[in-house]
Amino acid sequence: MEKLQITLNINGKDQALLVQPNDTLLEVLRDELDLTGSKESCSEGICGSCTIQMDGKPVRSCLTLAMEAQGTKIKTVEGLANGDELSNLQQSFIDHGAVQCGICTPGMLMSADALLSETLNPDDTTIRQALSGNICRCTGYSKIVEAVAHAGKPEKSCPDCQTKE
Amino acid sequence: MDNIEVTPNQDRELSVVGKPIPKLDAAQKAMGRAEYIQDIKLPGMLYGKILYSKFANANIVKIDTSKAKALAGVHAVLTGEDVPKKMKMGFIKDNPPIKKGRVSSFRDEVAAVAAISLDIAKKALDLIEIEYEELEGIFDPEKAMEKDSPLVHEHLKSNVLKMPWNIHYGDVEKAEKESAFVVEDKFTTTWVTHCCMGTSGAIALFDAADNLTIYSNTQIPSLAQKDFLESLKAMGLENKRARVIKPIIGGGFGSKLDTYAYEHIAILLAHKCKKPVKIMFDRVEEFNATSTRQPTVIYIKQGCDKNGRLTFRDMRMVLDNGAHTSWGATTPSVMLMPISSLYKVENVKYNAKCVYTNNTYSQAMRGYGNPQATFAIESSMDILAEKAGMDRIEFRKINKNQSGDETPQGLKITSCGLEECIDAVKEELKFDNNSEKGVGTGIASLIHVGGGARIYGSDGCGAILKMDDYGKVDIFTGGTDMGQGLDNITAQIVAEELGLLAEDINVVHSDTDVCPWDVGAHASRSTFVAGNAALGAAKKVKKKIQEFASKILDVPAKDIKFKDRNVFFPGDPEKSMPIGKLLRKAHFSPNGTMLMAENFYDPDNRNMGKDLKGNMSMTYSFGAHGVKVKVDEETGKVEVLEYVAAHDVGRAINPLLLEGQVYGGVVMGLGYALTEEVVHQNGKNMNANFRDYKLFTAKDAVKIKAPVIETIDKDGPFGAKGIGEPGCVPTAPAVANAIYDAVGVRIKDLPITPEKVLAALKEKKGD
Amino acid sequence: MRLPGFEYLNPQNLDQTLDMLAEHKDEAKILAGGTDLLVRMKKGLLAPKYIISLKALDSLSYIKDESDCIKIGTRTPIADIIASKPVQKHARALFQACEKIGAVSIQHYKGTIGGNILQNNRCHHYNQSDFYRSGRQACHKDGGKICYAREEADRCNSTCQSDGATALMALGAGLTLAGKDNKREVELANFYTTDGIMPFAMESQELLTEISIPKTNGESAYKRLAYRSAIDYPIVCAGVLLESDNSDKIVRARIVVGAMGRAPLLLANAASKLKGKDMNDQATFKDAATAAMSSAAAFAVHNVGSTLEYRCAMVEEMVLQALKEI
Repeated sequence: MEKLQITLNINGKDQALLVQPNDTLLEVLRDELDLTGSKESCSEGICGSCTIQMDGKPVRSCLTLAMEAQGTKIKTVEGLANGDELSNLQQSFIDHGAVQCGICTPGMLMSADALLSETLNPDDTTIRQALSGNICRCTGYSKIVEAVAHAGKPEKSCPDCQTKE
Repeated sequence: MDNIEVTPNQDRELSVVGKPIPKLDAAQKAMGRAEYIQDIKLPGMLYGKILYSKFANANIVKIDTSKAKALAGVHAVLTGEDVPKKMKMGFIKDNPPIKKGRVSSFRDEVAAVAAISLDIAKKALDLIEIEYEELEGIFDPEKAMEKDSPLVHEHLKSNVLKMPWNIHYGDVEKAEKESAFVVEDKFTTTWVTHCCMGTSGAIALFDAADNLTIYSNTQIPSLAQKDFLESLKAMGLENKRARVIKPIIGGGFGSKLDTYAYEHIAILLAHKCKKPVKIMFDRVEEFNATSTRQPTVIYIKQGCDKNGRLTFRDMRMVLDNGAHTSWGATTPSVMLMPISSLYKVENVKYNAKCVYTNNTYSQAMRGYGNPQATFAIESSMDILAEKAGMDRIEFRKINKNQSGDETPQGLKITSCGLEECIDAVKEELKFDNNSEKGVGTGIASLIHVGGGARIYGSDGCGAILKMDDYGKVDIFTGGTDMGQGLDNITAQIVAEELGLLAEDINVVHSDTDVCPWDVGAHASRSTFVAGNAALGAAKKVKKKIQEFASKILDVPAKDIKFKDRNVFFPGDPEKSMPIGKLLRKAHFSPNGTMLMAENFYDPDNRNMGKDLKGNMSMTYSFGAHGVKVKVDEETGKVEVLEYVAAHDVGRAINPLLLEGQVYGGVVMGLGYALTEEVVHQNGKNMNANFRDYKLFTAKDAVKIKAPVIETIDKDGPFGAKGIGEPGCVPTAPAVANAIYDAVGVRIKDLPITPEKVLAALKEKKGD
Repeated sequence: MRLPGFEYLNPQNLDQTLDMLAEHKDEAKILAGGTDLLVRMKKGLLAPKYIISLKALDSLSYIKDESDCIKIGTRTPIADIIASKPVQKHARALFQACEKIGAVSIQHYKGTIGGNILQNNRCHHYNQSDFYRSGRQACHKDGGKICYAREEADRCNSTCQSDGATALMALGAGLTLAGKDNKREVELANFYTTDGIMPFAMESQELLTEISIPKTNGESAYKRLAYRSAIDYPIVCAGVLLESDNSDKIVRARIVVGAMGRAPLLLANAASKLKGKDMNDQATFKDAATAAMSSAAAFAVHNVGSTLEYRCAMVEEMVLQALKEI
């Protein structure tokens, strides 16, 4: 099939690419750009492991055509850290034990990051609602929810947080 | 081999063990930089794809692969004809990686291709023409046991596996006659599956001398290596090498405890093509062609005397083995443990039969038979308590296990916090305060192996430890991290022993060219066995450092202590040196020495004998779960309101990761209790996707309280016991008991779906 | 899972879109958010030659609060509808339905209301991988002649599980369909064929452009039942609308049951039980709900999980809950 030239803005940089119309954004990120942080797990928009952000909103990249992502600002898990400096949210995931096998982690982070950019200090229900499209099999969600709550506190102190002694 | 005392000084102050140190690879994973099998591409790599049967039971009349072979980009097409005769999988070797002549389940492999792209590989599969002759299938294990049932494997003459599980401790018949109260029930459990978020995959490649390297998602690098070497031998490649590398894996939960057809097929394709071949499952394939927890039909009868003491337990089970045999068939060996030893009961009878059907075959899954057995036992405990007119918590405490007990099976209980766990649950969950309509509480306990499990001839694990010029440690362990955190446990144990920080320890695992031998990540054994292996290696190196430092510092070796990256002699501040400096002195001197050690730890547990008795684990983990549910009597829906999971863990080496294991286990257990079910219709998986297979979402799950009971086991590393599996063991009966408490209906068939609850409520009301 | 190949068309305005539809007709499929279409394509259930993307058609994304109705462009994201004050005020059933669609991460960007209405009918014998479908005869919807859900059925019995359509039908919504040379309006209640293969009464060159919800003095509500709190389709759902006069007498009632048939079921008989009755008469609600159950039961087949018996029983419960909420 003929390949088409497109430009995608990924993590702040314009990338020129040759894609087929039926390439999903996930396939292009992983196979063409080696941004393998975004994971394919269900491939049909249920588990959220492939979640990236388009214009700040979490989106399932497995159900997004690469062609459709033109003109948007795409952010992947690789774009969360500032160089080697982790974002508060990433650090909180690490500190709170929210990462086990790690396949769901990038998608969880992208959904949570989008939530925190809109909502300061979200409560348990709000966080669980925002993450309800991201499945995790290892953690039972508790530590992920704690990690997001901690990162969402207006100050960097978290009274109910046991890991920050 | 020089043996080393692995029992630590349990009273000493700990600075690394017991701390909630974040998982060592968490940053890599949170940055999207961790490399999984999904992410690995090798130069020249081809893509393999497998074609599966179209029928649950059929003869293969004809296969024509010529069109597939002719497709541009296709490098190889294999059928059963291309598989060497002796290449078979499973511990009784009844399963060739590609079937020839006959298929006996939908997941049976009939052909495979390797091509330059996945698209072409898939297209090639579509071009393979197969003529089948469909045969009648058998899908109900109890029916498959009947005399005139069709046979899954005709040459075996029977569908019942020749692996009888038959025990009788004490005298059950006599005890039954003498019992004041007896209850008898039937329970059933169905297929559930691991749902690792990372799907399965492997990449196989050969060097010019026909030595194999295989990257695979395995939990058993050393035993997988053995399987692959056997395949190589069958392929005529005797005396060749097989290197197994397990990249970071997206979850295991038991699913990767056996080798699978895709791994052996990747090997065949790679050898044929002389190129690396990658086979990566998509989610549909993951559901269809990896394995499940085995479904069971359970008959239980147990009784107690008038004081509530258990008198006997009599259980019979039929397990659906599926069409081929993997570790699912030996789960009765672990079911035996709760059956004989959860609570004190002297007279025990157990009979289990595994029966071939044309369904999918089963494998190990978190708990290894224990969740099924405990569902029946702990549901029955509540039924018996009610019949005896006793409080269900009191009833359990009367029969509690205690340290010092030896159970009828010969299990030696060396440390036991069961009563403390029950008390902790009682404390956290208000059991008698369920005035709200439809709200109820339930409790269930568990016993599980916590100090290894001797299911093979060995239960051992090796470790090699070396140190560099700056006091940093590389430890090569036989143990396998699959997300649960063995890397941390190893690092923390070694750091504690050598007075270092966890970050000073680099844990190298899961590469058979580099790492020592081990029997795999199963049976909640890694912390205990791999932990002890690492601890022993650290102790050996410590001794060497002490001896060397003794010369440098001129103090007795035994008095040298380790702390904050220093060795020192207490009492004289001058007699102190950074470990790194000491190591440089050891390395950079004439007649220098290198401070390293290897250690092999094989616990002193026993294989079960012919009488199915034996202390299979060095110690046992205990726990109790309490749950408060709300049952909607109009819809039958069950909502989990509160959950308490108290576990006797020996010692929490890392409380953060420990909670992770418990929380994750509980939510997996809640799925088992309420929503999860692989629906099979005549052998065909009806819900092979995450939409229709109902895993809990964050909104369905609740915050869990996890009181930790530390009993400091005498044999565990720093007193620790295993905790990988227990979290999902007593969940289903706790929920079933809570539902009964809430609305008075007893559901004996998992999962407890709204329709089952509603139907039971209707029946109760006499509709 | 890979998508099959297709030609991607990216019209810049409505006219271009309609031209393309007129040209390619059945060979083209409209791509809005893709959450339904692309999944079906990945499973090999369809392989259109052309995909016409609505990405550039921002003109189809709006919510207009007019004096007698609310107008919603079909490419409006579900999240915008949830956040819309006029929708919350005048069309609560729709608000409640939208809240339940998928999960947050589907609602606010990809999922559109048009896509939700046109979400294809489902059946657990049909919405399956090729792994599942291989080796058996094709069903009606798959191009064959049999139905696995109902023996001897001469047509497809797939089920409409759209939350949005059920709520909108209860609200008495109308649709605007645009073609190259024509534009027409149709009541949502009249928008369905009685065949699950192609459940929507629209031509292949037509585009669904607008939804119009009449404002009434009534109150509406929507209830659904699913196994999980998110990412599930309903196994039963109900939308209701009640209008009363000054003395709390019900003057107009609409009861719609979803996920029980090839289309949302507008149940006139059940609704008629309510007319003239008091708004607070719970016994009447029960009568209506029971009537809804018996009407809906005739349409349903066992094809979206759970048991048929349970789903039928739950029709009564969902209708009752929705009525009680008003």
